[in-house]
Amino acid sequence: MLGAVLAQLIVVVTAMVFVSVGLFVGRDRCRRTRSEWRHRLRAAAPITIFLAVILLLNSVARQVVPDFSWIGEWRLGVAWNATSMIYDLEGEFIVWLQSQATPWLTAYFSFIYIYGYVFMLVFPVVAYFALSDTHPLRELLTAYALNYALGLLLYTVVIAYGPRNMLPDLVDALLYDTYPRYQHLTRQVNRNTNVFPSLHTSLAATVSFLAYRTRDSYPLWTVVAAILGVSVAISTMYLGIHWAIDVVAGIVFAYVCVELAGVLVGRWSVSDWVAGRLRD
Amino acid sequence: MNYDTTGPVDGVDRRSVLAAGSAGLSLSLSGCIDSVRSVVNRDGGDQLSLSIATVPSDYDPESLHIARHLESNLQEVGIDAELTFRNPSDFLEMILLEQEYDIYVGRHPGGYDPDFLYEALHSTYASANETGWQNPYNFSDRLVDVDLADQRRRTGEQREESLERLLDTVAELKPFDPICRPTAYRLYRDDDERFTGWDEVGDFATRHGYLGLEPVDDVDRLTALVTDSRPSANINPLSPINREYDTIIDLVYDSLATVVPDDDGESEVEPWLAEKWETETHDDGRTTVTVTLREDCRFHDVDEDDDREEHVTRVTAEDVEFTYWFLNDTAFGRASVSSPAPRYRGLASAVDEIEIEDDYRLRLTVDGNVAVGERVLTVPILPRHVWVDELNDRIDDPADFSTSQGEWGLVTSSSVAPIGSGPYRFESQSRRGHLTLERFDDHFTLREDVGDGDDETHLRGPLVEELRFSVDPGSDTSIGRIVGGGADLTSSRVSSNTVGQARAAADNESDVELVESSPPTFYHVGFNTGTSPTSNELFRRRIARLIDKAWIVDEAFNDHAEPLVTPVTEAWTPERLEWGGTDPVTPFFGTDGELDEDAIEDAHRAFEAIGYRVDDEGRILG
Repeated sequence: MLGAVLAQLIVVVTAMVFVSVGLFVGRDRCRRTRSEWRHRLRAAAPITIFLAVILLLNSVARQVVPDFSWIGEWRLGVAWNATSMIYDLEGEFIVWLQSQATPWLTAYFSFIYIYGYVFMLVFPVVAYFALSDTHPLRELLTAYALNYALGLLLYTVVIAYGPRNMLPDLVDALLYDTYPRYQHLTRQVNRNTNVFPSLHTSLAATVSFLAYRTRDSYPLWTVVAAILGVSVAISTMYLGIHWAIDVVAGIVFAYVCVELAGVLVGRWSVSDWVAGRLRD
Repeated sequence: MNYDTTGPVDGVDRRSVLAAGSAGLSLSLSGCIDSVRSVVNRDGGDQLSLSIATVPSDYDPESLHIARHLESNLQEVGIDAELTFRNPSDFLEMILLEQEYDIYVGRHPGGYDPDFLYEALHSTYASANETGWQNPYNFSDRLVDVDLADQRRRTGEQREESLERLLDTVAELKPFDPICRPTAYRLYRDDDERFTGWDEVGDFATRHGYLGLEPVDDVDRLTALVTDSRPSANINPLSPINREYDTIIDLVYDSLATVVPDDDGESEVEPWLAEKWETETHDDGRTTVTVTLREDCRFHDVDEDDDREEHVTRVTAEDVEFTYWFLNDTAFGRASVSSPAPRYRGLASAVDEIEIEDDYRLRLTVDGNVAVGERVLTVPILPRHVWVDELNDRIDDPADFSTSQGEWGLVTSSSVAPIGSGPYRFESQSRRGHLTLERFDDHFTLREDVGDGDDETHLRGPLVEELRFSVDPGSDTSIGRIVGGGADLTSSRVSSNTVGQARAAADNESDVELVESSPPTFYHVGFNTGTSPTSNELFRRRIARLIDKAWIVDEAFNDHAEPLVTPVTEAWTPERLEWGGTDPVTPFFGTDGELDEDAIEDAHRAFEAIGYRVDDEGRILG
């Protein structure tokens, strides 16, 4: 079941990336990449390794976190159950949003939530790799790493559930009701307490913010990324997975990660450091 | 009477939270909560507030539906109700161990015999502050205690009289309010290419549903889908928080006797690890059960290549004796205070005396009638050598050893080796993935002379080599997996909102079948009778009148449940406490799940009659 869903995801996203490379990147950049890829790879290697380590830690921690947060909640008092509080804060905005539902919208937002989102994360990696300047690529990978690292920290502190889990009589689990098979996929990457902030939103917003920064290189992608980013944010609420507060927090969180990445990238250079050590 | 509330959600009303929220969305600062509280206190009298604990929809949509119904009706009448969400094990920890709650909504395993109420309600467990499944309501009533003890000792009509009185009192005092008993629907693949014997197999909620299925040719695994991931992490048989049902435990651990449900919602207690038993009732109402064990049954820690006599661990009368004493004191006399297990407490506490005659014969004297004596035989038999070692490992200083009853590692940890003598033994598990058991070839049900007699149809053994309980995200995906041939049966009940889908699958697919059963499990609303305001039975009855059981059965269970007035099975329900369209003791204030103005007015009068004030805005003040 998981295998089939995963295979479909890979095929669709790969096709989308290929088409987008043709549309946004262009032949010239591809040609230059062919001669410069070694240099670019070397420049991006340290942050890529760092991101890989974070992702690995993340997947290990997901196994452990429920127990850890349980300790947090009951023994140390650092965390508390925020769900009811979130619900009270925003009333029934999600219920209103879902009242606008049509089959076409549901199909669109389901597609965006699964395929659009994965495409949004993958394509900029390819697009920025095709630029001679490796700065955007390193910034992107750093921002991803920060999203995952800091996001995990927040998930251990804020234990909350999404609208579909709290108001099943008012909010439909549109994605899972319409396409139950996706549960196999989302369960692999997400726990139902990983709600605040919305990591879907924050990663999508991260890509949109960075697309704006690189608007001179990819003007058309900036527009597409903005549309996709807004769609992903709405889809998480429309599908009953996140509260509006999670989405707002996700956007703020993305802004912080992008700013931090801007500060951090270029500050330390691993190759300079190695070269320095060799000279000594 | 003092109606002061000092609960964890003391006085947080929605309006002030919204006000505090719009002042600054500083949600993740705990200072926010403090400022909310001070806003409330400026209004004069505090609005009465209650928290309702339950689990999110992913785990149990029906419980949440009931909780939402109650929350909304409490708010309608002006009580500030707030839901508290926990995952299933944290939820049980909160209710059974911490016992820090006002009201909760959840499932109770119930029992075919009403004696399960002894464990649930006897005051001795409340006064001793025991944690676990024993009296989590902190309920204490002298008359209820008398009837609980009487129904244990009496038989026939006399027992029925005691029970009627008991059930009447419980319905009036409402330590908990039973809501309904769902019909359990499960899907299986009646696929002749994989297994035969589906027609004769027992209830999938019991061990008997997994025994006797004959695999075809090279089929070596039965895949059963569960929507509860807890067994994939912990199958400590004594853990109070890792399961509601004993199905899996009963496959790994044998008990002396086994409960075999019949088609009428009743059950028989039949011999299992015990070959037979004789009962003798004494004049004082106690019963002696003389048990003969099956000889040469082994525990799972046997090494099949090592049959040296000293390395074989057989199930003997000593293990049986150990089990009962250990359930009554998991510190086994090594601590100054005894530490009863958080499960099986009601049954174990009925055992007064144990006399071992020889390795395979022993006499148990229980404080109760034959029915209690036989039910006592259904607890899992634990290997003495394993648990004594585990206990010793946890004693650092024998002179100063104490345990935290019901919560310490021995009764909660997954690190205790899951060694029983049951038909399947533990093979592996992967958190949120699966629990895999393998056939125990030495199990007595596989012996040639066992299970052939006409009255031994319940003694079918483990035939398929591997039994895998595979964790699935929900009933809807489980149905998909059964239809697609990815699994053999749904071990978890199909949730009410997908029964239609399951039925359609069974109708459309020739080799998919739907089976229904009526286990004694029921949904209920539990009250903490140890804290105000839920300590007042008059208050609890008024809360119960804000619940429309008929509406819940219709809306949350799609009519796949029976509304309840009393928690016992149909056969034990007195006529007075039968469902007759409404609850005869605490009828719903409104109609069709809703409270109109008149109903709210009625509710306000009812709360005022027991000393509460209602302010101009219709809020009930504590």
